[in-house]
Amino acid sequence: MKTLAVLIAFFTLSILNSQTPSSYEKGMSKAFELWKDKKPDEAIHLFERIAKVEKENWLPYYYAAQVHIFTTFGLKEAEAIESRLKKAQEYLNEVNTMTNNNAEVLVMEAMLNTAYVSYNPSVYGMTLSAKIEQLYQKAKVLDPKNPRATLNHAQWKMGSAKFFGKDPKTFCPEIEKAILYFENESHDIPFYPQWGKEQLSSIQESCKKE
Amino acid sequence: MKLLLTFTFIFLFIATNAQTTISGNVTDSSGIPIPGANVYLNETYDGGSTGENGSFSFTTTETGEQTLLISFLSFETYTLVSDVAAMQNLKIVLREDVNSLGSVVLNAGTFSAGDNSKTAVLTPIDIVTTAGAAGDYIGAFQTLPGTSTVAEDGRLFVRGGDASEANVYIDGLKVFQPFNATTNNVPTRGRFSPFLFKGTNFSTGGYSAEYGNALSSVLLLNTIDEPNQEKTDISIINVGLGIGNTQRWKKSSLSVNAFYLNLKPYQEVISQRMKWIKPYESLSGEAVYRHKFENGLLKVYGGINYTNFDLIQEDIDTPEGINFALKNRNLYLNTSYKGDLGNDWTITTGASFANDHNDIKIVNTPIDNNENSFHFKLKLRKRFSNRFKLNMGAEQFITTFSEKASIPNLDTFRSTFNNTSTAIFTEGNIFLSKKFAMQLGARGVHNSLLSYSKISPRASLAYKTSSKSQISLAYGDFYQNPQQNILKYTSTLEPEKSSHYIFNYLYQNNKRTLRAEAYYKSYDALIKYNTNTPEFTSLYNNNGSGYAAGLDVFWRDNSSIKNFEYWASYSYLDTQRDYKNYPEKATPNFAAKHNVSLVTKYWIENWKSMIGTTYNFASGRPYNDPNQSIFQNQKTRTYNSLNLNWAYLISQQKILYLSVSNVLGSNNVFNYQYSNTPNTQGNFNRRAIRPNADRFFIIGFFWTISDDKKDNQLDNL
Repeated sequence: MKTLAVLIAFFTLSILNSQTPSSYEKGMSKAFELWKDKKPDEAIHLFERIAKVEKENWLPYYYAAQVHIFTTFGLKEAEAIESRLKKAQEYLNEVNTMTNNNAEVLVMEAMLNTAYVSYNPSVYGMTLSAKIEQLYQKAKVLDPKNPRATLNHAQWKMGSAKFFGKDPKTFCPEIEKAILYFENESHDIPFYPQWGKEQLSSIQESCKKE
Repeated sequence: MKLLLTFTFIFLFIATNAQTTISGNVTDSSGIPIPGANVYLNETYDGGSTGENGSFSFTTTETGEQTLLISFLSFETYTLVSDVAAMQNLKIVLREDVNSLGSVVLNAGTFSAGDNSKTAVLTPIDIVTTAGAAGDYIGAFQTLPGTSTVAEDGRLFVRGGDASEANVYIDGLKVFQPFNATTNNVPTRGRFSPFLFKGTNFSTGGYSAEYGNALSSVLLLNTIDEPNQEKTDISIINVGLGIGNTQRWKKSSLSVNAFYLNLKPYQEVISQRMKWIKPYESLSGEAVYRHKFENGLLKVYGGINYTNFDLIQEDIDTPEGINFALKNRNLYLNTSYKGDLGNDWTITTGASFANDHNDIKIVNTPIDNNENSFHFKLKLRKRFSNRFKLNMGAEQFITTFSEKASIPNLDTFRSTFNNTSTAIFTEGNIFLSKKFAMQLGARGVHNSLLSYSKISPRASLAYKTSSKSQISLAYGDFYQNPQQNILKYTSTLEPEKSSHYIFNYLYQNNKRTLRAEAYYKSYDALIKYNTNTPEFTSLYNNNGSGYAAGLDVFWRDNSSIKNFEYWASYSYLDTQRDYKNYPEKATPNFAAKHNVSLVTKYWIENWKSMIGTTYNFASGRPYNDPNQSIFQNQKTRTYNSLNLNWAYLISQQKILYLSVSNVLGSNNVFNYQYSNTPNTQGNFNRRAIRPNADRFFIIGFFWTISDDKKDNQLDNL
């Protein structure tokens, strides 16, 4: 009987002790699920709530920004796009108070600026292009084998090559490099950024096309 | 033992099931439910989103006093501190965030150019890619309504005001000589290279109490805070050579550029109406240093310019023409600091200094003049809340001028003045809701040279009539000191005065903008004198007056045709004034009744080319014919000019550029000069004042060298 009581007590304690990490993991998983289920705003809300608890952890704000940025790629209405991007910038500002010289964050900032360019190229194309380039270069200096920096930089260069009437395939070897980096990527930190792989197959295909 | 077990189970039960439900409803101030708002207990994982009907409900294991937060895009975050047990059936009303997109904007009188301004009508690139502007940052503004086409001058003539009524500021500090030195009928250009600026506000009236000593207009230029990258720019143009370089460090950056302009080779090829003894030549250099501190940003700008030319101007009374030679040397320094003082206070302060030296020769009379000008400004801003902000500040202007004219076989005349003005201003920015905002301010100024003190009120308000449109109103009184050419002879004058009344309508939808503005402007205390030009012996008074009324319409469409952008401006101007040596009220020569501009930009992907056109039209300009009994009642023919430019991207960093003004060679007449004495038939002969050459060509090659091989100078053209 006594053993049982000790066991129960131990069990209870362990639940209590493990509560913090597990609700973080649960919350993050839930947020990703919401995003997958095409509920971006609920996902952002959850990431934001988690961020308010995990004061030292930059990941929740990073993902909140990412969901906003990626959501704008499917939008048309100027006001919705601008207000999302403005909010994404605020989240990234929070991220920057927690982590410095982080290649992942620089890539996300480049994505944010790319979102501005793709929504209104005539206004933002000229002013932000140099900045985007700069962000990717800095990210690659900090983390030369970062697959997202390599992949998105190559995609960005392909986009501008197309715009200037050049052959985007010049950058296909970069895509191959990115694939290699994706394969070798591993992180101990749970929920560390891993996105990007899903775009590979379609880009590879366009590289193969004659 | 059994008891212990039971106790443990109860404990377990409590630990996992002691939940409180938090519920309620979220609406906006008019009671409309807000779906999708984020509702949560701060620093916990507990929360949810509101449903379609604005309601929310979630459970929490937290107890006691907690902070409930409700946030939603474009609303202010709502905070409720209370015991969780009491957080049930809450009725929460969110306040609109007046700083969010879609809020009303105080914009009567103002055109802004920039990335981030909600009502920007031009982008920074427009300022430099407008055909006919040829890299002059003033050129693009001359295609906006409210400006008059005065092609022989090159400066800004706004709403019936002459060019001296418009002031230019860089980073909030006055630019004393914003335009290159020139003479009659040789159009000038802005002194500054356009790529130094990131945002511009051009106000055609009703501007803030922060700005004074301008009757018609202020042009506010802001320099770039942080350049994107290190690079070297090389420009080779048929009329000059330029080089620029930018360096960046961890917290600071430096941009320098130099430009040498010489019109001699050009004028040997293209025939000119004037006879140039020494064609226009100028050498200019600029540097901007920026340093970021923890809570602020310091900028230091310096520009030097040297200009020199010698020509013979036609004159109806002097068959051999009048010789005019000028050597101008200009130095401008501008230092500004913007910083955060904490507690929602910000400070903007700085000083500018200019030294302008002219060495002039008219026929055989040498004239030397020298002007030193200084401006200091301190501005504080307190943000009491999102809805109320207060600006206050003080500034000091000092100008010293001296001139020496040595008339051969007669005498040497010297004139000097020291002009000192002190001003204070304050202005409140009040948002009553996201739809309704106002700005109220006042400016007081004391001038010690003319010994006067004046207070001018300024007010503007704006109301959002729908999600895509708004109306705004502005009123203000404005004073301006007499110009240098008068102050050097007399200081017993009052400042000239104008009052602006402006009504503005703005409609914006999906990259289309319609802006219409009606205004009335009264002029009082304009300076009059009794000679042809201001002279030492003239009699001066403040008895002049006048008015300007009109309608400015602007339409821009960036979305109807792919890769094609255009804007159209129309200005109607009705103005009369009695000033200078006018015998009665009349419309001055610079004020045409109708002005039209059409600007187009087309990007042709297959040609890797950007082609721009600008068409300017102005109805006939009034001039005075002494053969007629009525003063100033004749009109010149209409003005037409079609300008083209073509930028071809050889590669991403190499651009070939071609620009032609007045492609069609329209024969434009600005004014007529009549002889001082009648001919034998008793008539006054005349001479048409026409452009120096009908067309102007620029061919250039622009090369940018940077690490990323991406940036180019398209935005500088």
